[in-house]
Amino acid sequence: MPDTRHRLPVVQPDAEPGTPGRRQFLASAARLSTGALAFFAFERAEAGSNPAPAAKRSSGEYNWDEHRWTYLIDTTKCIGCGSCVRACKAENGVPDGFYRTWVERYVVGTEKSFVDSPEGGLNGFPSVQVDFHASKAFFVPKMCNHCAATPCTQVCPVGASYRTKDGVVLVDGKRCIGCAYCVQACPFGSRFLSPVTHTAEKCTWCYHRITKGLRPACVEVCPTQTRLFGDMKREDDPVRKIIETERVEILQAHLLTEPQCYYLHLDKEVR
Amino acid sequence: MPEITGFSFPNDIHVWWSLMIVMYPYITGFVAGAFIVTSLYHLFGRKEFKPIARLAMATSFAFLLVAALPLQLHLGHPERGPMVMVTPHFTSAMAGFGILYSGYLVVLLLEVWFVWRSEIIARARRSRGFMRGLYKALALWTYDTSPEALEIDHKAITLLAGIGLPMACMLHGYVGFIFGAIKANPWWSTPLMPVIFLMSAAVSGIALLIVLFQAVSKLNRRQADQACVSALARWLWFFLIITITLELLEIVVMAYERSEPWIIISELITTRLQFSYVTMQMIVGGLIPLILLGVVVLMNRYLHPRVRNALSTSAAVLCLFQVFSMRWNIVIGGQLLSKSLRGLRSPYEPEVFGREGIIAAIALFLAPFVILFVFDRLLGTQPAEEEPAGHGDEPGSRAPAGTSTVTL
Amino acid sequence: MEHARHVFRVALLLIAGLAVVSIGRTLLVPPSFGLYGPYRHDNVAEQMKVREPAHAGPAACGECHEKEFKKRASGKHKAVSCEVCHAPKAFHVRADGSMEAMPIDRSYTLCARCHRKIPGRPAKFPQVVLEQHLNGPPEGEACLQCHDAHSPAM
Repeated sequence: MPDTRHRLPVVQPDAEPGTPGRRQFLASAARLSTGALAFFAFERAEAGSNPAPAAKRSSGEYNWDEHRWTYLIDTTKCIGCGSCVRACKAENGVPDGFYRTWVERYVVGTEKSFVDSPEGGLNGFPSVQVDFHASKAFFVPKMCNHCAATPCTQVCPVGASYRTKDGVVLVDGKRCIGCAYCVQACPFGSRFLSPVTHTAEKCTWCYHRITKGLRPACVEVCPTQTRLFGDMKREDDPVRKIIETERVEILQAHLLTEPQCYYLHLDKEVR
Repeated sequence: MPEITGFSFPNDIHVWWSLMIVMYPYITGFVAGAFIVTSLYHLFGRKEFKPIARLAMATSFAFLLVAALPLQLHLGHPERGPMVMVTPHFTSAMAGFGILYSGYLVVLLLEVWFVWRSEIIARARRSRGFMRGLYKALALWTYDTSPEALEIDHKAITLLAGIGLPMACMLHGYVGFIFGAIKANPWWSTPLMPVIFLMSAAVSGIALLIVLFQAVSKLNRRQADQACVSALARWLWFFLIITITLELLEIVVMAYERSEPWIIISELITTRLQFSYVTMQMIVGGLIPLILLGVVVLMNRYLHPRVRNALSTSAAVLCLFQVFSMRWNIVIGGQLLSKSLRGLRSPYEPEVFGREGIIAAIALFLAPFVILFVFDRLLGTQPAEEEPAGHGDEPGSRAPAGTSTVTL
Repeated sequence: MEHARHVFRVALLLIAGLAVVSIGRTLLVPPSFGLYGPYRHDNVAEQMKVREPAHAGPAACGECHEKEFKKRASGKHKAVSCEVCHAPKAFHVRADGSMEAMPIDRSYTLCARCHRKIPGRPAKFPQVVLEQHLNGPPEGEACLQCHDAHSPAM
């Protein structure tokens, strides 16, 4: 009886080369996999054996170990002029219809409230009539809160979004795949997918300015001292002093994202 | 520009996760659901599913091959899509996709190979020329069909089904986790989400197989095996009850607790999602199939095969709509409400053309059936014969004796 | 084991595939990835240089425009940066030193953006109902008829 386990019944003559025995197979398999594993392990060791010294300079003279940036907003001072929104747009080339920072207006009565943010406040706010008696009204500037326990970097599938040591949450535009998971995960609506780059974008606290000793553009132009930028690691920083000694609030505190934008005199109506 | 009622955060008015992200869980739902059915035979040995065990496995495989496409079509940078497997950030559920998908693909590929191996060898023996070379390559150039080898195959199949079932469940469950773990969105954030997705996947898989079974039987001019049809109807009814219960439970608990998000969510359901949620998901897709299937199951003994077929197939078709509405309501519904909890945007209208459009979605849904057709031509999706050697290539031309599973 | 030859074939194929994937993967991971966390560390330096700062602050404008700078600094608009009403310095003085005329908006809409009376502004902030303030509808360069933009108090 012809052995049909390793050959088909011959209709056309088939020349089957000898198949390797089991021992040889195991040997070559072992060699292959060890080689692959060794290569892989070597790569990882290379990356891990070069831990940067504690005071590593990220670039030039800026050392991110020396700073922990923070932001303070006093909502009693905001006049809703929208200069911050315009400055951010000019400074960062923000696409139309999207906002790295914006201003909201709250017109509040005892039973009802009205909230608006026409074009994010880019061209200021129009007059408005409400159908209830409004007892108070105020403006609330908003932007990315650069949370310390942020859900947006947690959900990035490729590690394109991250938080620097000086406390700024950034997006690596070359790595982002444009899945928009971070946009969904942000409780504050700070993120968007740029129609130009098709990657996620948001406020960066003007990282290209603050690492040169400048202030973010929005802080630079605010005419009423509503927006203040500070450094929690600087001894005599006035913003740090306010945050440490006065009553400050954060947005959506119950979500425990630990926002680093602090607000003075927030109202219960603000989300 | 969408119309907004109330107040939405300025960046919050866009629907980022489009029709493609509705299609993705829909398709992986079929993968998981069909695999559950085939495992009922291959892993749990339930003989009544033998007539469709192979068809179910082929269906799961066909849908799996297409599953990554909706994601690639959606990405802002599709060329960077594989980066999810190069630098996966494992705190993100989405990063699990690379490993889960490729792992499950390997497991299913292996299981398909082991199940169809003797069929491949038989076809290799019968073929000539190019097809013969193809079948030989598919058999990996060993042709052992002795009882001992088949016994090893059987063990391998059981093992792979045992590994594959949790993997298939995770492949779909992680999608539920992607939504359920977003604390920022109150419509999505619930621990029930992965379970709802998985139960819903089982519904879609079984429903699809009921429809496919009827279609394939009609094409082969045979009546569908009634024991199999009533078993499928029974399991569909079971999973549908669980799914609807969980979906309703979520709403009922939210309404009862009346936390802040409930105000905007109740407005979402009663205005923007009234047709897709209340009408399609709950009534047309939920209540009516529950009744139809209830009749099929509880009155099984008294039903004429034609009635059983008609009732279970129409219930199955309605279930297919139900599962699609459910995916739509979760994915799109969650993006219609703003994180300000004060605003809703106008309903999302997907584009017709374009890579995230309706035509692309329909093409994605039809592609697995094309693959299934090729699969059937190449390997066949009929249940295994009792004897090792088959007669004739065409499933329709196979002699009824020894293969017919018609019961009257 | 005689009959398990096909299993070994499959296993060999699988291992070979895994090896190819692992090697391919390590080749694709960017060099600075993982140094400080699950991200590409080189991007931090890239973000610092992503663009030249566009806003420079009033002092930079004062280097050339001393008169307006002094007038502004001693008047009611001393807290209003030049770049709020005009444009960021980078629009005016480009990186290569060439110049572009700075936009000067003289229309009432610019002033109204801050000074029109609307709900939300703090009560102490100077704001007017334009129609009352002008005794008629506002149009054209209405505000500049009476006020000096750089030192607006009268």
